[in-house]
Amino acid sequence: MESDDFDARNIYSRSSGKMKNTWIIVLRELKERIKKTSFWGLALVGPIVLMLLVFLLFHFGESKKERWKILIADPAMVMDNRILLGDAGAFEFDFINDYLDLDDFLKGKRYQAYDGFLEVNEKVLSNKRALFFYKEKPSLKIQTRLHYLLEKRLEEVYVSELTKISLQQYREIKQPINLGFRNIYDPENQKSDVNSWVGWFFGAIVLFYIFIFGMAILRSITVEKSNRIVEVLLATVQPKQLMLGKIIGIGLSALIQLFIWVLIISIGMYIFKEQFFQTLNDQALAGNLQSGSGVKEVFGFTNLLEYNQFVELVFQWINFPVLLSFASLFLVLGYLFYGTFFAGLGAMTGTESDGQQYVILIIAILFFALLSGYMTIIYADSPMVYWLQYIPFTSPIVCMVKISQGYASTEIYQLILSILILIISIFIGLIFAGKQYQRGILRFGHRLKFVDFFRR
Amino acid sequence: MISLEGVSKSFQQKLAVDDVSFSLEKGKILGLLGPNGAGKTTLIRMMNRILFPDKGNIFFDGQLLNQKHLQHIGYLPEERGLYKTMTVWEHVKLIGQLRGMSKVDIAQNYNYWAEKFGIETWKNKRIEELSKGMAQKIQFICTVIHQPEVLILDEPFSGFDPVNIELVQNEIKTMRTNGKTILLSSHNMKSVEELCDNVVLINQSKKVLEGNINTIRSERGDNIYAVRFQGNMIAFVNALWAGFELVGKEEVTGNTFIAYVKMRNESSFNDLLNTLMNEVKLEGAWKVMTSMQEIFIQEVAEK
Repeated sequence: MESDDFDARNIYSRSSGKMKNTWIIVLRELKERIKKTSFWGLALVGPIVLMLLVFLLFHFGESKKERWKILIADPAMVMDNRILLGDAGAFEFDFINDYLDLDDFLKGKRYQAYDGFLEVNEKVLSNKRALFFYKEKPSLKIQTRLHYLLEKRLEEVYVSELTKISLQQYREIKQPINLGFRNIYDPENQKSDVNSWVGWFFGAIVLFYIFIFGMAILRSITVEKSNRIVEVLLATVQPKQLMLGKIIGIGLSALIQLFIWVLIISIGMYIFKEQFFQTLNDQALAGNLQSGSGVKEVFGFTNLLEYNQFVELVFQWINFPVLLSFASLFLVLGYLFYGTFFAGLGAMTGTESDGQQYVILIIAILFFALLSGYMTIIYADSPMVYWLQYIPFTSPIVCMVKISQGYASTEIYQLILSILILIISIFIGLIFAGKQYQRGILRFGHRLKFVDFFRR
Repeated sequence: MISLEGVSKSFQQKLAVDDVSFSLEKGKILGLLGPNGAGKTTLIRMMNRILFPDKGNIFFDGQLLNQKHLQHIGYLPEERGLYKTMTVWEHVKLIGQLRGMSKVDIAQNYNYWAEKFGIETWKNKRIEELSKGMAQKIQFICTVIHQPEVLILDEPFSGFDPVNIELVQNEIKTMRTNGKTILLSSHNMKSVEELCDNVVLINQSKKVLEGNINTIRSERGDNIYAVRFQGNMIAFVNALWAGFELVGKEEVTGNTFIAYVKMRNESSFNDLLNTLMNEVKLEGAWKVMTSMQEIFIQEVAEK
């Protein structure tokens, strides 16, 4: 073979450093994943299915009660005991011209037949705010109709009592009324701080990605061990380089997939907004409705859907740039942190089934992290939550909830400290997992025992 | 080229290699022999820096072995594997790049070996489509793709049919002729006898035998010579006196035989020839070398 075609010394003179080998492993892992059809299936079909499921959940997952008996508490007689009855089949209204206490409504025998009561106080014409207390949460359709009926009646009152313009003119310049829907058993809305749940949702997505792609690390290592390719690789690449290359390569594929999800969901949301909820900012909606123009049928609903809370939440309340930026940051850091554990575990296992058993430990930790996020919503200011935000296992989700709740300017240091601790923990994790990896990667066929993790 | 000095390694209090020293001479093939579990793979892994000695040192060209030297070593492990979802070319390219080669050089070397092994059409085949023997060829190519100065081959013939064993053996011989240094670990004693210049035998973590293979084979055993002759077997036996003992015979044709004679007392080969010369027509005589198989069994099983 010693032909004169080439000179081996030239080859060696192009020898690369450690980083180059790590990068070669990164690219191999990345290519391995992105050439699979399942990767693109999950990346492209996943978000579309998710959006469809969310829509169906909101469409079909609500109360199917067809007729609502509602008591309107109007002590100042603002509405003059009158309301439009365009939906006579769906609603039955009674008026009480007095203040009504929640306890009285719940316990009073005469109120038992009502499904909820609408509180319209004397300030409603100025602050445009009313509350509907329900026993069973009304569907989006019922919420929308009730909102519509109340608004129409109040517009009439407002125009006749406080202005000299016509109703039509008023509807062109009006501000929409804010009708809040509250659970009668949780009137202060303490348990359903929507913003916190949005943060929790983003944190849960982060943990979901960490788990899915952490498992990919574990599987990849156990496969390399079982097909023995690892020994060939280790003759050229140091174990830590191999481990790091694997974690980064799989992580990059996770980021690509996440990016595609965000892109598709953003496009989908834009289409939804433009096609179905385009009058979110259209103050003349009511007028349009009355004249019957511009009404579109969408899945059996009309454009009245624009008023529902979910749509408002998605399109107006969530600060996507901030939440997505921090979710991406915590995804990268959290993935690197947890990834070291998955890699260490993969290297220590003797068989693929071994790995499955010990994954339960990591799942338990991830479950605890989810629970920590929930605790952050319920006990936002407790000392426990204060410390949970610094623990690297829980900080990705706890910090996401706290970000959505809003850090006070004096508390920003907490967020920075959490991120710093997470970064330091990644390096400690890499050192620890690197040792486990080096020690375990060439052991095949044994049965992994818990004490093996602590042996030197 | 590579030398080990007092190398020891243990795993959780179990001694895998105990104070082993030997050298691979440039341009020679060293056979590393030993029963299963003797410590051969541990030694080989230390020579590839996959494991590190607890005691002792390993040198490459007089320097302490370091990561940089690995680019000059080609390693074919006993437990070998390939990425099943990759194509042949992708796999060879990956290993070549990890060894610091450019794509052009990898392609050039790959084409050379593909032609040698007659596998020019496999380039875009996925590894999972290959038979075991075909995969073995790819693994061998991956080992030599970067033209290493030193080759460490652990059971290189396993999985090959006799035709391909011959092919690989010839390639190994050619590489030796071209000045490559080769360490061959194998349980195939016939291949060891055919290929190796020197051997090291490891048993129970220790080195028990080392030296030139021909010297070892001729020194071992019972000093037996084979004599090929034409004539009468009875006359041959009668000619032998107290200094010799007939220990075996083979009939080649009707009056041609090969007799195996053991030397006794101070008798020499010359004495034997003088004794027989007038009794039978001698066609040839040679020292019967002890097989590596016998030496292996003597050293391992009988101790």
